[in-house]
Amino acid sequence: MLMKLVQTGAEADIYRTQWLGSDAILKVRKPKEYRNHFLDSQIRRQRTIKESQMLSHAKSIGIPAPLVYFVDVTKSSIIMQRIPGRPVHDLPGSRIILLSKTMGRLAGIMHKNSIIHGDLTTSNFLLCDGSVFVVDFGLSQNSSRLEDHAVDLRLIKEILNSAHAAVMKQAWKNFVSGYGSAVGSATCSQILELVSEIEGRGRYATVV
Amino acid sequence: MLGLGIESTAHTFSCAIIKKKSGRGKILSDVRKIYRPPDGEGIHPREASRHHVENSAGVLSQCFKEAKVSIRDVEMISYAAGPGLGPCLRVGAVVARSLASYYDIPIYPVNHAIGHIELGKLLTGASDPLVLLVSGGHTMLLAFLERQWRVFGETLDITLGQMLDQFGRSLGFASPCGRDIELLASDSSNYVSLPYSVKGNDVSFSGLLSAAKPVAEKNRADACYSLQETAFAMITETVERALSFTRKKELMIVGGVAANRRLSAMLGNACKRHRARFYAVPIKYAGDCGSQICWTGLLESQVKKGARLGDTMVMQSWRLDTVRIDY
Repeated sequence: MLMKLVQTGAEADIYRTQWLGSDAILKVRKPKEYRNHFLDSQIRRQRTIKESQMLSHAKSIGIPAPLVYFVDVTKSSIIMQRIPGRPVHDLPGSRIILLSKTMGRLAGIMHKNSIIHGDLTTSNFLLCDGSVFVVDFGLSQNSSRLEDHAVDLRLIKEILNSAHAAVMKQAWKNFVSGYGSAVGSATCSQILELVSEIEGRGRYATVV
Repeated sequence: MLGLGIESTAHTFSCAIIKKKSGRGKILSDVRKIYRPPDGEGIHPREASRHHVENSAGVLSQCFKEAKVSIRDVEMISYAAGPGLGPCLRVGAVVARSLASYYDIPIYPVNHAIGHIELGKLLTGASDPLVLLVSGGHTMLLAFLERQWRVFGETLDITLGQMLDQFGRSLGFASPCGRDIELLASDSSNYVSLPYSVKGNDVSFSGLLSAAKPVAEKNRADACYSLQETAFAMITETVERALSFTRKKELMIVGGVAANRRLSAMLGNACKRHRARFYAVPIKYAGDCGSQICWTGLLESQVKKGARLGDTMVMQSWRLDTVRIDY
């Protein structure tokens, strides 16, 4: 099988490959030397299983996400459909503002179905042929606890506030409105309140 | 330009003198006195501030003596205005204000966390790093963007230093406990499963702390080893995440926990994979010190006039991502 390393992600190497004639990517969680061996294999195994399960779950509720083709738990690798799109992270600010509404709606649909993505950043939303796809479910989990939903939102807020500081205000407003359209305004404001509460727990977040 | 910096945010009272010449700084002196709480106890703000008051005059004169300069040569005074413990911060601020008004020297309130970063950059030569700030007061991943340090990840509850200190104190160590935990951890290689909590680029340590305490009742070395392995793996993973997200090619670690060799080794290994250069602040300047405050004050003084005395307050909860940086 012809393979080309296309990305060294945070926790996995991404290769471009083929699967039964379709464009595919191979995501391998290689052992990390720096981590205690037992902890390392536990994390790699759990995340590989979780990611493939959640990808399929997300697809089944209508979230645009890569199809899982093949999972090898012993090698901690997943072969999945390749989405030939661009990360929202790399798009111009004006596009990010517009797409935030879609990203928010997708996050809302996932939360409504108890899917916590766990790594909602602008790099994990890909724009492909006018549709926004969600990728990288490595840190995802099942939960209907509102607190977990709020932690998920806090991360994308933090990312907008740091990596996209110039468009933060409008992007976040759009994200929230898209999110609200999926979960309903009552739940939305409840979760936003929890987001502030979580932020308040952070260091030096409020004046003593 | 000759500057005097005063640090008193937590357990350390320190004064330092730095000479700055065209972008380069030379530390002429850096004198510290560190308050040690009794074994098994944390910093008592009142006791720490009393320690600072009693030692301030001695540290200050020693710092001039070692630098072989006089207060009349000083062109700028900076002090750590926050974040930190109120009673402690006020000691440094009072010393700075008294000197500044009596000798008519411009005064600059400085953010303590920015101090860690700026001195780190001066001493390591890093130019545009992703910064991991790990200390008793901070656990943050930062990158500089549009005139501010932006937070790319941080702890959702307690800091890494706090967790190590609280755990160490439960074993009867004196704060700061990082060194004792590191030593005891090196006696074990028996990993006991502990909660591993990474949420995107953020971490949470409170559950880990609670879970590690009962392990220590059975075997203290195993508990220290497992606690370090878990917490540092969490931090290193978020560093990897932030490196791949920001695409920075440098990582710099600053703050008291930077002194831990195991953490440094793990981060160095992760950097290799991302082809990033790894910079660690020299251990001597990893903990709180006046040089951090002095150097940041000197940088500020390039672009700003000194503060009015009425604006030289302390801010206990001054977050570094609210500071605009114009130098």
